[in-house]
Amino acid sequence: MTSSGSYVVPTETNIEHYRATARAWLESHAPRYGEEARRGLSEDEDLALGRAWMALKYDAGYSGINWPKEHGGQGLGPLEKVAFEEEEMRFGFPTGYFAVSLGMPVPIVLRYLTGEWVLDRAKAALRGEEIWCQLFSEPSGGSDLAGLRMRASFDEATGEWHLDGQKLWTSYAQYSDYGIIVARSDPTVAKHKGLTYFWVDMRSAGVTVRPIKLADGSHHVNEVFFDNVRVPDSQRLGRIGDGFKVAIETLVIERHHASDPAGFGPALDLFVAESAEPDANGVSLLDDGRVRERVARNYALQNGLRAIQARGQLMLGLGIEPGQEGAINKLVAARARQRLSEFVLDARGTSGMVWNRGVRSNDWVGSWLTVPTARQAGGSDEMLLNTIAERILDLPQDHRPDKGVPFNQIPK
Amino acid sequence: MALIYDDAQRQIADECERILKAGFSGPALKELLEPTGQYDEGFWQLCVEQGWTAIAVPEEFGGLGLGLSEQGIVALACGKAACGAPFLTTGYGVVEALKRFGSEAQQAAWLPRLAAGEAKGVICFSEGRAMLPDVPAVRFDNGRLTGTKQAVPGGAAGNVGVILAASAEGPVLVLADLNGAETERRILPTFDNSRVAADLSFNGASAELLTGHGHDAAKTILRLLAVVIAHEQVGGAEEVLAWARSYAVERRAFGQPLAAFQSIKHRLAENYTAIELARGNCQYAAHHADDPHFARFAAAARISAIDAYDMAARDAMQVFGGLGGTWEADLHLHQRRARTLALEFGNSMFWEDDLVGELRRAN
Repeated sequence: MTSSGSYVVPTETNIEHYRATARAWLESHAPRYGEEARRGLSEDEDLALGRAWMALKYDAGYSGINWPKEHGGQGLGPLEKVAFEEEEMRFGFPTGYFAVSLGMPVPIVLRYLTGEWVLDRAKAALRGEEIWCQLFSEPSGGSDLAGLRMRASFDEATGEWHLDGQKLWTSYAQYSDYGIIVARSDPTVAKHKGLTYFWVDMRSAGVTVRPIKLADGSHHVNEVFFDNVRVPDSQRLGRIGDGFKVAIETLVIERHHASDPAGFGPALDLFVAESAEPDANGVSLLDDGRVRERVARNYALQNGLRAIQARGQLMLGLGIEPGQEGAINKLVAARARQRLSEFVLDARGTSGMVWNRGVRSNDWVGSWLTVPTARQAGGSDEMLLNTIAERILDLPQDHRPDKGVPFNQIPK
Repeated sequence: MALIYDDAQRQIADECERILKAGFSGPALKELLEPTGQYDEGFWQLCVEQGWTAIAVPEEFGGLGLGLSEQGIVALACGKAACGAPFLTTGYGVVEALKRFGSEAQQAAWLPRLAAGEAKGVICFSEGRAMLPDVPAVRFDNGRLTGTKQAVPGGAAGNVGVILAASAEGPVLVLADLNGAETERRILPTFDNSRVAADLSFNGASAELLTGHGHDAAKTILRLLAVVIAHEQVGGAEEVLAWARSYAVERRAFGQPLAAFQSIKHRLAENYTAIELARGNCQYAAHHADDPHFARFAAAARISAIDAYDMAARDAMQVFGGLGGTWEADLHLHQRRARTLALEFGNSMFWEDDLVGELRRAN
């Protein structure tokens, strides 16, 4: 979300001061809301704790940091937002439920709607009282967003749209009050051109949410079925047929966010500490050159990402939009996390099979089990490589046989 | 020194690249590949004329008093040009050794000459497979050196060397004028002959002690040098990726440009990724030269730059098809240089060990 006009890019000193203040505040609340407080909670209890945490942040002025003040935010910029997120990440607060909601759906509706109702929604979302989901991917494809099949047919008599179809991989749909959705309003034109964008009330008749159990047993993603769900035309965002444009606009809203060189897996330091410990014979894992090689290579990857991120932050501080090299972040971080997590289990021998399900920060088994999803979510490795090739290296687009073909004539 | 280059630094980068690009000649560089002991004198003169030899030397000794970022910027441009002499970077190593471990007299004697390009500095630490031998075979006793350093980069033409030697007090760093009769050079045939590697045999050559514990001081120099060379590697990798990219866009097969095939696109995108990680590490290390964790950053830069250059050179040859392996196509200049730079001043195993040693110390 763009910051309001009055925002002044902070100096390095000011940003460090902001960070230090935020960190002290976060530290003081970590015992009640952080990683340790969450241990052993049921998901409902954890979500409740999360809602309380969001409300506390709202009251303390740490909500919607880079949102305009008129939307209930703090009117600050990406530097403060990222600094806060980086600090917040260290303590394992229950923020995951709200990340999509505040990252994309709520900012996009704030762009397209005005008035009291949407401001109330923004406040409720910031306080964690309401959650929004993003209904984009479908069983027919995730990467090929414009190939979606959810139908939107307009009923002239009632002035309502009828939505029919299925969405997939919708994060936290089971807790969501509202959602944003793209659907096909005209199958007779090329796939990018026949889409229209809406917001929907997730409690509408005909909406069914079914959680999907992932490989590690968690179920934060869902299938969402729409069976003749009626949506008034006033819930349309953008013009009829502009759905793809609004979807892309949605996806680029959150350009600036904290990234984790460890790919949101455990920190390398933990493995270094573990493998530096001597065993009963006085031998430690780090005495083995193969272990040292893995550690050193992982460190070099993570430090490279840290360097790119730090450079990007400095550029933002100077009012320059960072280069596109940030695009490699997730690609590298997720793969590196996968290799390291596998190796940590390997290095432990048969005891590597033991899984004491714990909090994420030191759960190498959980990290390894869930990382295949991380290599898909937010763009698969293959799509990211294509993006680098086409956008940065300016190489030709892939051959796309469905280009310009009316959607209903594309072979299924 | 900056993580983002300031105007002056950008100017140095642009200027270096412009000059070196204008002077780049594949045929001329290839003439240096087969004979032994010959380097590109024209390139060296350019380094002197442009003041690149003076970059790291303090102003009071006739230098420009610039830091690691600027050394890296120049090295990156040299890497792009697959430059035909090693002395610029090895000279930086000698300058840093003098700045940190030299006496005032030693500094006064050598820094002005190094800045003016009248002396070529070389680093003589390794012996055989060991980058830093525990007990060096080269000995320093009563002001005299004995023993042989093998395959010293630039050894055929260096005038002044910083040498790791054993002594009665343990390993030490010493400074020696290499032009005396008691130093014998045996020029070696290598796969990248313009590096003018040579065995240096000391038969009682006089040398002067530098301060500092031998291994610690040697590591300090190697880490600084690692960051400079990593920049050079990034430059080479960037250039060879650009060649591969151009070829892939122009060359057509099966009715479309090579660059339209995903196998080629992804290969090039992976190269770009590896290069940007290495570049990030390089800039970060140069920016943090005085940081307590500099050693880790330097090793990370070196490890990722070795990888990036090797990978880019290897993959470019693959993209070029059969042509890639020909003498004509010039790609082997980068294939060779990628490996030379990977071996000189610590291979990846050395830097992995150094890095993990540093991480372990923190635990």
